[in-house]
Amino acid sequence: MRAADTFGGRSARDLLSRWAIVGVLLVLYLLAIALSDAFLEPVYLGTILRQAAPVGIAAIGTTLVMILGCVDLSIGAIISFSAVLCAVLMAGDARHVPLALATTLAVGAAFGALNGLLVVFNRSSSFILTLGSALAIYGLTQIYSGGTARGMVAPGFREFFNHRIGDVLPVLAMALLGLGAGAEWLLRTTRFGRQIYLIGSNREAARLAGLPVAAVTLVCYVLSGLFAALGGVAVLARSGVSSTFTGRGFEFDALAAIVLGGTAFSGGRGTVVGTMAGTLVLFIAFNLVNILGFNYNLQLVLKGAIIVLASAAYARLGRDR
Amino acid sequence: MAAPGGSLAHRAGIFGLLALVLVGALAFVPGFAAATNLSNVVTQSAALGLVAIGQTFVIAGGLIDLSVGQLLGLSVVLTCALSEGRSDLLLPTLAAMVAMGVAVGVIHGALVNRLRIEPLILTFGTLSILQGLIFAYTDRSIGQAPVELVWLANGRLLGLPVAGVVLLAFAALAHLMLRHTCFGLRLLATGGDADSARRAGVDVGRVRLLAFVLSGVGATLAGLLIAGRLGTGYPNAGQGFELDAIVAAVLGGASLAGGRGTIVGTVAAVLLLGVISNVLNLLEVSAFVQIFAKGLIVVGAIVVTRVRSGPTWRATSASPTARIARGSGG
Repeated sequence: MRAADTFGGRSARDLLSRWAIVGVLLVLYLLAIALSDAFLEPVYLGTILRQAAPVGIAAIGTTLVMILGCVDLSIGAIISFSAVLCAVLMAGDARHVPLALATTLAVGAAFGALNGLLVVFNRSSSFILTLGSALAIYGLTQIYSGGTARGMVAPGFREFFNHRIGDVLPVLAMALLGLGAGAEWLLRTTRFGRQIYLIGSNREAARLAGLPVAAVTLVCYVLSGLFAALGGVAVLARSGVSSTFTGRGFEFDALAAIVLGGTAFSGGRGTVVGTMAGTLVLFIAFNLVNILGFNYNLQLVLKGAIIVLASAAYARLGRDR
Repeated sequence: MAAPGGSLAHRAGIFGLLALVLVGALAFVPGFAAATNLSNVVTQSAALGLVAIGQTFVIAGGLIDLSVGQLLGLSVVLTCALSEGRSDLLLPTLAAMVAMGVAVGVIHGALVNRLRIEPLILTFGTLSILQGLIFAYTDRSIGQAPVELVWLANGRLLGLPVAGVVLLAFAALAHLMLRHTCFGLRLLATGGDADSARRAGVDVGRVRLLAFVLSGVGATLAGLLIAGRLGTGYPNAGQGFELDAIVAAVLGGASLAGGRGTIVGTVAAVLLLGVISNVLNLLEVSAFVQIFAKGLIVVGAIVVTRVRSGPTWRATSASPTARIARGSGG
C-alpha cells in the first residue's frame, strides 16, 4: 500500500523522488553562489527566507489539504483579507495587537471551515468550490477595505518580526522554519497525520476502514485557512502596509512550491519539508533573476519553466510505481 | 455509462437557473429588456463563450487548460501590434493567431502525452510563461485593432450583434463535433476512462492533443474579439478568463473528472454569467460587491446543481485496494 511507503520509504526510487527537491535546492544554491557572491552572506540568506515567509507559511496548510487529495485555491484571497483585517484592528495601537492577531487567525480558520464544510457535504470538486470561495473572499476584502489600503500597523509590530536574531535570522524567517517543523512533526508522528496520508491514498478504503474522513478533511481545511491567515500577518509584518491586492496570485505560488516539493495532485504523498524546499527554490530563482539584472517579467517565465520541468521530472520518477 | 450530459435533472439545472434569472431580470430590472441592452449582454458574452467552448472539450477529455486567459491576452496584444490597424494585414494576422493557438495546444498535448505531466500543473506553468512573455514584450497598451475586428466585436448584422452570431456559429460547430463525430465520442470515452478507451482502440494521445488545440484556438479567436472591443492591445486583457471559462463549463454540466460536458450547457452558463453581471451593472452595484456576488453565485450554483465529484473525490481506479473495496461494497 502506498501509505506504508510514505513512512517506510522502501524503494530507492521512492527515496529519490522524495528528496529530489532537496538536491535541486542544493544545485540551484551552488549555481547561485557561482553567479553571485551575495548568496554566501548569511544576512542575504536571512532576507530571502523572510521574503519567502508569507508564501511558505500559507503553503504549509495547503500541503496538508493536498496530501488529502483535495486542493485549496482560496488561500490567496484569505491572505489578502487577513492582512487588511489585521491592520484595521491594530489601528496603529500596540495594545490592540493581541486581539487583532487572535481575531485575524479566527477569521482565517472560519473561512477554512466554510471551505471544508462545502467540500465535505457537497462532495463537489474542491478545485471549483474553493475557486468560487476565493472570488467571494476577494470581493469581501474589497468591500471591507473600500478598494484602498486601510488600517495601520502598531508601532513595533513590523520591527519585532523583522528583528534579526543574532543579527542574521529575522523573526519572520524563524516563524517560517518553526511552523514548518511543527507541521512536519504533526504529519509524521501523530495519528491525525497518518490519517491524512491514508485518506489521501485511498479515500474509499479509508472510509470503509472506519476512518473519520469528513472530520479529518474539515480539520485540514481549517488548518489551511489558519496558515493562510498567518501568511497574511506575515505579509503585513514584512511590508507594514495593507493593500487589498497583497495575496493575489499567492495561491499559485504556494501550489507551485507544493508540487515542486513532491506532493502529488492525486494525494497520499508529500511532505512539508519538501514544500519548504520548493518555496526556497522558487525564491532563490526569483532573486537570481533580479541579481543577474534580467527583466523582472522573466521571473514569470522562469517560474513557469521550473514548474513544468519539475513536474516532468516527478512524472518520470513516479512512472513505474 | 451515464449519458454524456448527465442526468436529465442535472442538465435541466443550468437552463432552469438561466430561465429563472432571465425572467427575474425582465420583470424587475429596469432597462434590462431594452433591445440594445439584450444585444449588449450577448456581445459581451461572446469572447468568454469561445474560450469556454474550448475549455469544455478539454474538461470533457479529463484535462484542464489554465493557460487560456494569458493566451487570449497574448493574442490581443499581438493582433493589435502586428496589424497596427491596417485592414490589409487582417488576414495574415488572423492566420498567425490561429497558428499560435494550434502551436500552444500541440505543445500542451505533446508534453502531457510524452512527459505525463499533470495538465493542471502544466498549464499553470505555461500560464506563467505566457504572462511573462506578454509583459516582457510590453507593459502598456500597444498597436491598434483593424476596423473589421471592431465591427466583428461591436457591430450589428440585420439588427443582430455580430459577435453573438459568431458565438452561435462556433457553438453549433462545436456541438456537432462533440456529439456527432468520432472525435467527440473518442474524447468523451477518453475522459470517462482513458484505460478502457485505449483498450477499445482509441488513440488517446491524439484525442488529448486535439482537445488542447481546440482550447488554444478558442482562446486566440476570443483574443481577436477582445482586441476589436478594446481597440488596442491591452496586456492585462486576458486576466481571469481561465477561471470564468472553467466555471462556465462546469456549471454547464462538464465534469472535472472527465467524460461529461455539453456545448449547449456551457453556452447557457456563459449567458447566465453575462446576464448576472449585466443586471448588477444596471442596478449600479459597486464592482467590489459584484466580485463578492459572483463568488457566492459560483458556490451557490455548484451546490444547487450538485456538480459531480472531481477526480480528487474518486477512489483512484488504478489502485487495487480501491477495486477490492468497490467489489466488496457492491
